[in-house]
Amino acid sequence: MISETLALVVRDLKRWYRTPGQIILVFTTPLMWLLLFGQAFNIGKLAQGAPDVDIREVFGGATDYFSFMAVGQTTFIVLFGSLFSGVSLIWDRKTGFLAKLQVAPIPRASIPISRMVSTVVKSLLQAIVVLVLAALFVFIPGLSGLRFSPDFGILDALGIALFLILLGLSLAALFVALGLIVKSEETLFGLINLLNFPLMFTSSALIPIALMPDWLRAVANYNPITFVVDGMRQLVFHTSVGAQYSVAVDLLGITVFAALMMALGAVLARKALLRT
Amino acid sequence: MLSENRVIKVQALEKIFPGDVRAVDSVSFDVREGEIFGFLGPNGAGKTTTISILNTLMLPTGGRAEVLGYDVVKHAARVRNGIGLVPQDLTSDEELTGRENVELQAKLYHMQSGEAGKRIDELLQLVGLIDSQHRIVKTYSGGMKKRLEFATGLVHKPKILFLDEPTLGLDVQTRTSIWEHIRKLKSETNMTIFLTTHYLEEADGLCDRIAIIDHGKIIALDTPDGLKKAVGGDVIEIEVAECGMDVLEIIRGIPRVSLLEGKCVGTKARIKIPDSSVALPLILEGFWNRKIPVLNVSVKKPSLDQAFLEYTGRELRDEDKGNGGRQTAPSARKGRFRRK
Repeated sequence: MISETLALVVRDLKRWYRTPGQIILVFTTPLMWLLLFGQAFNIGKLAQGAPDVDIREVFGGATDYFSFMAVGQTTFIVLFGSLFSGVSLIWDRKTGFLAKLQVAPIPRASIPISRMVSTVVKSLLQAIVVLVLAALFVFIPGLSGLRFSPDFGILDALGIALFLILLGLSLAALFVALGLIVKSEETLFGLINLLNFPLMFTSSALIPIALMPDWLRAVANYNPITFVVDGMRQLVFHTSVGAQYSVAVDLLGITVFAALMMALGAVLARKALLRT
Repeated sequence: MLSENRVIKVQALEKIFPGDVRAVDSVSFDVREGEIFGFLGPNGAGKTTTISILNTLMLPTGGRAEVLGYDVVKHAARVRNGIGLVPQDLTSDEELTGRENVELQAKLYHMQSGEAGKRIDELLQLVGLIDSQHRIVKTYSGGMKKRLEFATGLVHKPKILFLDEPTLGLDVQTRTSIWEHIRKLKSETNMTIFLTTHYLEEADGLCDRIAIIDHGKIIALDTPDGLKKAVGGDVIEIEVAECGMDVLEIIRGIPRVSLLEGKCVGTKARIKIPDSSVALPLILEGFWNRKIPVLNVSVKKPSLDQAFLEYTGRELRDEDKGNGGRQTAPSARKGRFRRK
């Protein structure tokens, strides 16, 4: 089981880093987001000069909007990567590669699991790039970078990785399974678009929950992405000021979500890979 | 040599798709160890469906199939271990190199890397890809991709190799070289090979035994020679303005021409006689005497073409026109059954 899964993960990753321009995209896409969204959409300016407001309450412990959104940005990377994780399976079905895997004496589960693992590996690498780039923004004159807490340590880094891995696994589990069930890209792209924006904008990844209308806040409080960014911000900024939940509750929230999604994904993928 | 050991046993196999489409309709046959067994039939005859069931990709809706002694429904995992598949389509990963594709396959079949490395060298040598093994498959020609499929399907030394339309859409040279590989495999390894084809030439030249399949049913199963013998004499086709009973009667009335069979196919009178060289001048003379213009004449010696026509009532190439089955490039469809 493990050796076959590993072989398929390596295949996915080779396909990824060999695609021309892929490595450039890994850097440029987050860079664009950080520059355009993080700098242009700097709503932190609005709060400046209001003496009674602790800006950290609004920005989940961050002292500026850029630091707030840079952490949120990592969940986007994971979200996008996972949403598209099933697309290549549709291609594998069309080219007949999937049929070749189904004829091979490998456990069926290694097919979706390998795709989930490679997706998470790719997303995690890109998320690290985002955080490092965001921190390096401090060297650009006139810009402030992502300000990590001075106490930020290896355990915090591992905690962030855990949050992102769980988010990636939960979303990839669902979309890999959908990639196995759905036979056309068009349908899958439709589903991706359907889930993409609601998941993104009903979370506290880019917009502080404090600034949301009540009804949206009610949704955002239970968005799995909110659990992840809330937990990560506490690890990055080392404060519970402006936090939605404690880190433990955040971790529990995303773990439960991941378990549910993986169970659902397993049922769907199993059905899709059964012989008919 | 051919053994009596049967490595594939199929009994009343049936696959009915929704809408009562009988892709495989109560098919029974056995394949002996070490033989090349061919499924010959037009597009949509049920060849690929049968292969998919034997390869554990599809479940039958009825009947039984055993591969290497294991039931394909109940013991799919055991069947998978012993078989190799060279599918109809080019299924290699285009972003990987040729060698990496074969290596991946070796890993999926749990081969030790040392043993696999040697085997892969041998196979890439055999299919003539050793010099381009480190190139990305995207840069390969169609023929190279097909040969890579062979290497991939063979890497784990399967006991039975399934070849689904092994030379479909390939140019003549590549086709000839693929045939050489298949013959070499048989002579060197005594591997059992199950192939499907709609090239009569391919079935004739490669197979020890051929099953003619049409509309999901096996209509004849024999050696190529046996099938040809069953056809009997030569077939003469005489095209006239309008073929009818009167035309056939004229032929029957010609002295010293013993008609084994005669019927009208469109505007052609198709007759079977023991020896065309004697009869043909007499027949033409008869038409001449009755002032019936003969538009075209053709003579066919017994061949597998003939056998197919004999058993199915149609020529294989007729299927190309209105068949709603698998799509193929128009160029690949032309002249498929023209003999050299």
